[in-house]
Formats: sequence, C-alpha cells, structure tokens
Amino acid sequence: MRLVARLKNLNEIEKLINLRVDCFLVDTPLAVRAINKDLFNHLDKIKSYGKDIYFLLNKMIHEDDIEAVKEILKIAQEIGVTGIVAGDITLMVLADEFGLKNKVIYQPGTMNTSSFDNEYFFLKQIKGITISKEITLEEIQKIFEIKKTELSLIGHGYLDMFYSKRKLISNYFIYKNTSKNNIIGNDRFRLKEEMRPDSFYPILEDEAGTHIFRDKALNSFDEFLELKKGLDDFFVERIFISDEEYYDSIAAYQDRDLVEGFLRKYHDNYNKGFYYQYTEKLKGDLNEN
Amino acid sequence: MKTELLAPAGNLEKAKIALLYGADAVYIGGKQFSLRARASNFDLDTIEELINFAHGINKKVYVTMNIVFHDDDVFGLDEYLRFLDKLKVDAIICSSMVVVERAKAITDLEIHLSTQFSLTNSVLANYFYDEGIKRVVLARELSLEEIKEVQKQSKADLEVFIHGGMCVSYSGRCTLSNYTSLRDANRGGCAHTCRWLYDLYEGDELLSDNHDFQMSSKDLDATEFIKDLVETGVSSLKIEGRMKSIHYIATVVSAYRMLIDDYYHGSMRDLSFYQNEIKKAENRQTSHGFFKGDTTINEQLYNQRSEIPTKEFVGMVLDYDKIKKKVLIEQRNYFIPGDVLEIFTPDKTTIQFKVDKILSEELIELDAARHPLEKLLVSLNIEVPKFSLIRKVNYE
Repeated sequence: MRLVARLKNLNEIEKLINLRVDCFLVDTPLAVRAINKDLFNHLDKIKSYGKDIYFLLNKMIHEDDIEAVKEILKIAQEIGVTGIVAGDITLMVLADEFGLKNKVIYQPGTMNTSSFDNEYFFLKQIKGITISKEITLEEIQKIFEIKKTELSLIGHGYLDMFYSKRKLISNYFIYKNTSKNNIIGNDRFRLKEEMRPDSFYPILEDEAGTHIFRDKALNSFDEFLELKKGLDDFFVERIFISDEEYYDSIAAYQDRDLVEGFLRKYHDNYNKGFYYQYTEKLKGDLNEN
Repeated sequence: MKTELLAPAGNLEKAKIALLYGADAVYIGGKQFSLRARASNFDLDTIEELINFAHGINKKVYVTMNIVFHDDDVFGLDEYLRFLDKLKVDAIICSSMVVVERAKAITDLEIHLSTQFSLTNSVLANYFYDEGIKRVVLARELSLEEIKEVQKQSKADLEVFIHGGMCVSYSGRCTLSNYTSLRDANRGGCAHTCRWLYDLYEGDELLSDNHDFQMSSKDLDATEFIKDLVETGVSSLKIEGRMKSIHYIATVVSAYRMLIDDYYHGSMRDLSFYQNEIKKAENRQTSHGFFKGDTTINEQLYNQRSEIPTKEFVGMVLDYDKIKKKVLIEQRNYFIPGDVLEIFTPDKTTIQFKVDKILSEELIELDAARHPLEKLLVSLNIEVPKFSLIRKVNYE
C-alpha cells in the first residue's frame, strides 16, 4: 500500500521523503480545497526527487472547464504522472483521449459505496477508485472481498462533507452589507450550528464554491493494518492541520509505536468517522432528485 | 418533438392530478431504492394501477431508483427491475451504476441518469449515452448558456429542473446529514442540515448575529426561461416535489402547461400571468437559481422561509349530481357558508361561486366545513369534473 501525502511546498519534500511517503499529491489549477496551486509550476523540481506524483483535479467539470482539463492532461502526459485523482468521471473520458485513462483514480467523495462500483470501474480500465467516506469499516471490508480495480481511501484528516457551487461566505457578507477581505482560500472560517454549540465545522470558500468539513479529523491508526489488506493507496489529508501535526501523523502511520504519543498530543481533534457508525436510510423529505 | 412537462407524484392521487392538470409524464418512487421512499405510497400494485391510468391517456410514468447503493441495498434489485419491465414502465431514473448495468442486462427498460449524479457537461452526457442511458438529468448548477452548450453537443436527451426545491450542495456530493444526524443523504435520509441555522466564526471571532448564517436556497422558478429551454431543444422540463400537496402540484403543473402550450401556439401572455398562477399554491420564495450564472444573495434565503399562498386550497371535487345540482367535495381546509370559492378544473377553467349551504353526506346542514377529508355537499349550478380543486377567494 502506498502512502500518499498532499504536498504543500517544495521545502518539505525531503522531510516527507524521510517520512517514507510513497507519493505526492499535487494540486492542479482545477483542484478544489487546494493547499497550494503554485506547486503546479514546479513539477520538474518535484519530479526530480523520483517519487510518484498524483495530480489532484477534483473540481466538478463544467463545459467551460473542458479545455483547461485537456491542458492539464497534456502536462500529465509530458511529465508522466502516476495518477490523476478525479472528482468527476468526465476525467475518465477525457483522459482516454490522451492515453491516460489507466492513470485516473475516481474520487468523488461519495458514490463509490459498493463492490459493484469497484467492478464497474475495473471494466472501464481506470487506475482505481477511492472508497466513499461515509461507509463503515465492515462495508469497506466487503468491497475488499471481491477487489478488482485498485482501491484507495482518504484515511486521515478533515474530510469534506459538502461541495456547493454557491459562494456562501461572500454572499453572507454582501447580505450583511459588511466588507470583508480575504474570503477566498481563508482556512480560518468555521460554522457552529445553533443546537450543537460544541461542534465547529470548518468552512472554506474557493474559486469553485463552498466546502464544509467534519468538525473532527478522521484517524485510522487502529484500522490501518486491516485497511492495508485491501488498499493500494492511503491518502493522508492535511487541510486545517498544522505542518507539525501532519508530519507526526505520517510518522505514526509508518511506526505503530508513535501512535500513542500522537493521540496523547492531538486526541481531541480526532474521531473514527463512519467506520463503526451506520447511517439511517429513508427518513428524508423535501428536495427532489 | 414537443418538450415534455414532467411532474412529481408522491402517491396515486397526486400522480393522477398531475397528469390530469397537464403533465406529460410523472415520476414516482417505489417503496425501495428511491430517495423519497418516505414520500411514496407506491407499492407494486399501485404502480401498476398508475401505469394503466397513464398509458390509457397516452402519458408516461418514470420510476426513480436513485439511492446510492451500498452492497446491502442490492438485495431484491433484479426482481424489482423485472417487475417494472413487465409493467412497461416508461423509464427508470437512477444514479448508481449497479442499477444501470442490471437494468441493461435483464430488462428492456429505458434508463435515465438522475440529477443525483450531478452531470455538468456534454462529455459526460455522451459517455452515458454510449453506456445505454437515453436521457440525463442535468445538475441544477448549470446556467442557461451552459445548458445550451451541453444540448448542442449531447447525444443524450436532456432533462432540466424548472421548479421547486434545490440542494445547496451539488446533488449526491453531500454528507452533511450523514455526519450531523446519522441519516444518509444519498439513501433517502437527508435531514436538510443545510437549512439549519449557523453562526460563522473566523478563528475564535464570532462574525454572525444570532445564527443568521444560513445556506438555504430559494426554490427554483424558471418561468422566465421556458421559452429559451424549449427553443434550445431540451427534452423534458421537470418540476420538483414528490412531498408537495395535490393543490401545489395541480397549480404549478397547470401554470407551466399553459406557458408551454402558449409558447407553441405563439400566444404567450405576460410572464406575470403564469407566475401569479403559481403563487396561488403554497410556496417558498423563488428565484432563477443558476440559470443566469453564479448565484447571489438574491437566490439565497436569509431569515425568511415562506411565501403566503394567494389562494387557500379548501377541497377537491369527488362527484357532481346533475339532477340535484350539488357538488360532492372532500374537505381539505376550513370554509363557511358565505365564502366565495373558486373551482379550478383540470382543463384550466375557473368558476367562482358563493357557498350557500354546506351539507354533510347525511344531508345535515353544517355551520362550517371543519374536518379534513370530510365529504360535503354544496349547491352548484354548473357541472364540474372529478378532480377539480376548490380554493377560497377571499383568503387573507
């Protein structure tokens, strides 16, 4: 199983290599919830370290984005990326034009929830799929049982749970008739719901819209050995996490002896997401789909 | 081919009302595999009854199977698909590839891709067409210009939402409800967490006032864009709201029916006519959504939740006695002798009359119509058809 780290700057490459990271996930111009899109201008430098590179291209692809996607795919072809992490299967179709379909990792966040999704995308000959973030460990293990295509998981960090095209923070300040600078990309905004006063949900607005995240980061230390049995890639997310904590988390995944110290230091920030938590069906109403 | 008007139906009565008031097709959910399963009274027998009714008047029925399937959800899928195929359902609407592939493998069902997939471009529309999907429902985040561009390039038929509630997130990409309420948004359990009230902080600094950071969107109203959408060549115009009342469905369907027909006949009235018709039913505030591009504060709801309907729904016509000149009504809201009521028929005729006496079925005179679903007799000189709806005119 490869350990995939999101790259934030060139200065940390050696640090991450020393932490035995297998692959760098690099923001492209069409990455959402990006860490540092400027890195895309330094691909030769990143490549010179000899590690695998994945491109992050997880925006919902609208008609106007198609040419930009193709430009990124040309660059992917030139530098020989190992993977293209896609939020939208439009990428699978466009990558095929460049002979890159087998590099695409379909990572919509939701949607990849069953063994059948694994089989479907195996038949489509893409590189792999990232298992959805809202399913249980038991369900993940069921997908492992008849594994076909490569499987991955975002197993650590603050996971997004909402992606809207609406600019909700900017609009709010317009509604309040208040001028507010530094909205786009500002990672210090948080939401508190009136009935849940102890939970703060990070909210981020970028060029593509608004994203809301879980109040606690996910950790998979206890599940890591089990996950290793079926996963090809384990993504370690770093948004809203300090560099120090991020490096500590990677070290703890590489060395089980460091987990206890990590949890002692950062425990309040973490939970187990949906690994042991079933969600109920069939109680909704209102909006149609 | 004339653009289809597609209406929601949460039960058989709503489906019949939608078809009678002008929908070309209705979409329904069964008790399994549908995001609005709770909204459904459609067991297999009822689906069959509806299909017979709809096909008898040359209209269509689509069945939604748009949950995002987990492994445990697949149980019974083949049997259900075979049943729908046998009934000659006109199409299924789905978002999981397991449904698409099983339907292709074991049935001749036409397949539509749900908006739950959030399809936003022509590349994907063509991909799914090549995969055997005849029609795709576009994401509600597309502008009119984007819809035109997709239509220009797409081999698949396009279905576009024109009226009703909107997800704030891209549909199918939200797990707010899962995380905050343990209710699976993509398997029919959405708790509408996006409509809750929030405070906004930057670091530890509170920036909002008294939970006034809200994400709710106004409902969609595309009356302004129907002409463009029809001219663009989209195949189907879709109204949202399987949970809505029969009055809402009849009113909204009827208004869009008139608008589409008037366009085709070259006799379109001022848009305010159709918009005022829609306002007669209960409604949240509306906006044009993404049709003009990125949304602004005008497409969001801040501290205001509902519009008051301009007319109150008080009953539905069950029968008319030509000899005694009495109409049999099923009561839905309070009215009294002396009230002026308006009867709104499926063929869009409106008849106003003043209530003289209200009689129970046992012919006992009542001082008011108080009880929902009570059957009542009221004098009326003009024959009106079954399923006509009755509104109070002097509603304030």
